[in-house]
Amino acid sequence: MKILETKNLMKRFNGVRAIDRLSIGIEKGQITGIVGPNGSGKTTLINLLSGVLEIDGGEVIIDGIEKFTRVLPHQVSSYGITRTFQNVRLFEQMTVLDNILVVVTERNVFGSIFEKNIEHHHKISEEVLQKVGLWEKRNQLAVNLSYGQRKLLEIARTLAMKTEIYLFDEPFAGLFPEMRKIVASIIRELKQKNKTVILVEHDIGLIRELCDQIFVMDEGKLLAEGEPEAVLKKRSVIEAYLGE
Amino acid sequence: MEIVPQLILNSIIAGSIYALIALGFNFVYGATKFFNLAHGVMAAIGGYAVFYFAKTLGLNLYFAVILGVALAGIVGYGLDKFIYLPLRKRKASNMVLLVASLGAMTALQAVIAILFTSRFKTISQNIGTQKLFEVLGGVITQTQLIIILVTALILAGLVFLLYKTLFGKAVRAISDDEEVAQIVGINTNKIIGYVFFIGSALAGLAGILVGFDTGIEPTMGLGLLLKGVIASVIGGVGNIYGGVLGAFLLGFVENFGIWKISGEWKDAIAFTLLIVFLIFRPRGIMNK
Repeated sequence: MKILETKNLMKRFNGVRAIDRLSIGIEKGQITGIVGPNGSGKTTLINLLSGVLEIDGGEVIIDGIEKFTRVLPHQVSSYGITRTFQNVRLFEQMTVLDNILVVVTERNVFGSIFEKNIEHHHKISEEVLQKVGLWEKRNQLAVNLSYGQRKLLEIARTLAMKTEIYLFDEPFAGLFPEMRKIVASIIRELKQKNKTVILVEHDIGLIRELCDQIFVMDEGKLLAEGEPEAVLKKRSVIEAYLGE
Repeated sequence: MEIVPQLILNSIIAGSIYALIALGFNFVYGATKFFNLAHGVMAAIGGYAVFYFAKTLGLNLYFAVILGVALAGIVGYGLDKFIYLPLRKRKASNMVLLVASLGAMTALQAVIAILFTSRFKTISQNIGTQKLFEVLGGVITQTQLIIILVTALILAGLVFLLYKTLFGKAVRAISDDEEVAQIVGINTNKIIGYVFFIGSALAGLAGILVGFDTGIEPTMGLGLLLKGVIASVIGGVGNIYGGVLGAFLLGFVENFGIWKISGEWKDAIAFTLLIVFLIFRPRGIMNK
């Protein structure tokens, strides 16, 4: 079943088509890779799906029913979508723990002032911070974390949101091998729980290892789609992506 | 009455008023990152509301104060809902928002002047018969003592709200990165609305306290706002503690500055302090 689809999706920057009539369908419970050379529109696609950029044309369909021609950032989580950023974006002046607590916050103001379910919230926060190995650092300000720790905290924040669809924009970039293992196991675990992961990644090895299907993009267009092994053998893909 | 203890007391009293304005201003600035010039006029709304409810309608004074604070909060909330929010949704720049707030300030000030005239008014009901307290060789009125206590309580309350509640965490998250706050599911527009209510209510409270201490006039807000802003800038804009520190520093510099000269130099001294900070430490004392 397709959990997320785009139909003729368009995005222009100063007249240049960054996303050009892109139609793709993402299967529920699978890990989908988005690959392509720099500037091919991968991050733009993630930005459109998460409401960071406005859609210029076409539509996004969630669960096969809900159609959107405009995705608003504050509604994204209610559609069951969460994301990380290529350049990590945390709440810098807050502690590691507060970065997580704030996403599990009560949605009504009085609930949030009197912290009705604080124990439950702390339990979720501890669980996700233990998973990425940052529980010991919970009282540090996010701004003081190392690069890798910041990436892990951002991933932990998405886990705490317990959504259906996870958009990871280069989650492995710049990580030490130990941290890469943690991220890979988190992605696999999400799949086991029947969650949907969309992974923008440059590392072909990781794409082969993790993804069930991939979409290859070039200049905002879809170049190829299918299982990684088959797609990565295609001549057109090799030419565009690897420049061979 | 000795001069130095009295100057210290006067500094603390002035600092408390400025702190109250700076607290509300910084609270709103932290979440929205724009310079809300209409913040000061909320002080006038609070003061005039008490004048109307207590003196004109003859309601119980405490009740009138509660109504005044609430009214200032509601007007602030309304400004956000009907002016700033639609502008923010259209991705208006902070400059546009600043100009809009200047318009809102001027309009509200004019409405107050139309309803109550521009003449200076007093809301204190016991002028000349106020209880006086002697503290460390200086004299302080009951109202002034209340001003200091209220400021301390509000500071404690605001710190609790910001750092100990999930609501406060959401406000700080918006302050750090509003877009990400939205993506993680925080209804930022709703929270900012409440921030405006709380910040404006605090300005209203400051206006009421000034009204009891000296008096009210429609343009009182601008003067108070400017002092609150100077306090915020020298303490560190958007920083709750910084605003309070800046407010007391300003109170002391102003009051000790006029020790040997005429009191009319107060504003000149205050703005000189602002300029010195803008040149040598524009981030303020507390901001890194």
